[in-house]
Amino acid sequence: MDLIELKDINFEYEKGEPVLTDFSLTIEEGSCVVIRGDNGSGKSTLFRILNGLSFGGSGEYLFKGTKIDAEYLKDNSGAKRFHKAIGYLFQNPDTMLFNSSVYDEIAFGPRQMGLTDEEVDERVIDCLKLFDIESLKDKVPYHLSGGQKKMVAFAAVIALDPEVLVLDEPFAGLDQKKIDWLLGFLKELKAAGKTLIIATHRDDVNEGLADKTIELKIPASE
Amino acid sequence: MLPDWLKKTEDYAPPSDGGAFLYKTLVSLGRVMSGLKAEAGKEGRFELPAWLKLILMIALIILTSVTQSRLVIMACGAIVLVRLALLPAESMPGILKAAIFAGILAAILYTPAVIMDHGLLGNGIRLVVKVLICVTAVGLFGRTTQWNHVTAALRKFHIPGVVIFTIDITFRYIVLLGKLMEDLLTAVSLRSVGKNNKKYSSVGGVMGVTFLRGTEMNKEMYEAMQCRGFTDDYKGL
Repeated sequence: MDLIELKDINFEYEKGEPVLTDFSLTIEEGSCVVIRGDNGSGKSTLFRILNGLSFGGSGEYLFKGTKIDAEYLKDNSGAKRFHKAIGYLFQNPDTMLFNSSVYDEIAFGPRQMGLTDEEVDERVIDCLKLFDIESLKDKVPYHLSGGQKKMVAFAAVIALDPEVLVLDEPFAGLDQKKIDWLLGFLKELKAAGKTLIIATHRDDVNEGLADKTIELKIPASE
Repeated sequence: MLPDWLKKTEDYAPPSDGGAFLYKTLVSLGRVMSGLKAEAGKEGRFELPAWLKLILMIALIILTSVTQSRLVIMACGAIVLVRLALLPAESMPGILKAAIFAGILAAILYTPAVIMDHGLLGNGIRLVVKVLICVTAVGLFGRTTQWNHVTAALRKFHIPGVVIFTIDITFRYIVLLGKLMEDLLTAVSLRSVGKNNKKYSSVGGVMGVTFLRGTEMNKEMYEAMQCRGFTDDYKGL
């Protein structure tokens, strides 16, 4: 079943400078799609569209058959359900961390989901263990190293238990040990039925993980 | 090994939550701040030098402000309107919005005086027109002059380096901090999937991080400039 369908999306920030031109993409549930492309080829724009943060000038975005546009996301309940279903890891984790402790950062999403305190605590502890960041539990995210921030930001996204994970350069800023662990973790997530959309320049992601690789090209200006 | 809750598919119904006003206001503020970059400085092919434009703008503002002659005010207004008409259509709304806002504000402030003395109506209208002309002139200057040319022009008038440096850095940082705040609030909204009982705490966190990042960026940039030979003597470009 197609979980995500982008049909003939056209997007431009300024007139005559297209970023995406007649771009179409279908992503099946439980699959892994790797997005590649040079800087300025539209990866971040595509991710913004997938997360309902930007909308193409023309074309259609369907998520589970529902058209995602500004009108749909005006409905608070629909927007929240959509954002719960799609977890977005920003390329720069600095722009994701705003709480006073790592625990609160990870608990931010689950606390809003109507879970009991015990369930929230269980999720946060599980995430801390999963990402091997238990020792950072009470630390202020702002003062962590780049790699640690990335782990905390990813843990905060995972704590929402999204169906789709949109990961913008998830390996950037990590040491080799963490990269190896992350590759294994992503394979586990895929095996658990999660849909993965990853922007990366790494070739090793293709091995045993990627079902489809999309190469974005920088469009010519008019 | 994934925990059980991560393996299951949740049938999620979000609890209702009101009070998005604060977020929306801050997102708008961030957009305005980060949008300053887009608004500033698109020079045409046959543009006057920045220093000359700066002199003309100041002269026009002084002339408009001090004159009592209707003819001079109309002439200044005509100059501003002609220059405005030469701009691309997409540049006009931003300049006009700011001018109209300032004009309305001036009218509101002057209204009590007119109510008390109807004879001041003519003066009130003149004041509003003057405000419209001056704010449009400033908008035109900002819209048609690149920021580094503005700092170079200020340098030409022997304004102390530290003043130019402060103005320059403030302008650049407003843009960067606005973008950071906008991104942070986007991240907050993407993870706000239900009822947030600690809205003020989240907003406080965003403001705190923006402040910390601003301080850090300031320090980093100053150090980077020192490494490249900066000796507190700011020469612009």
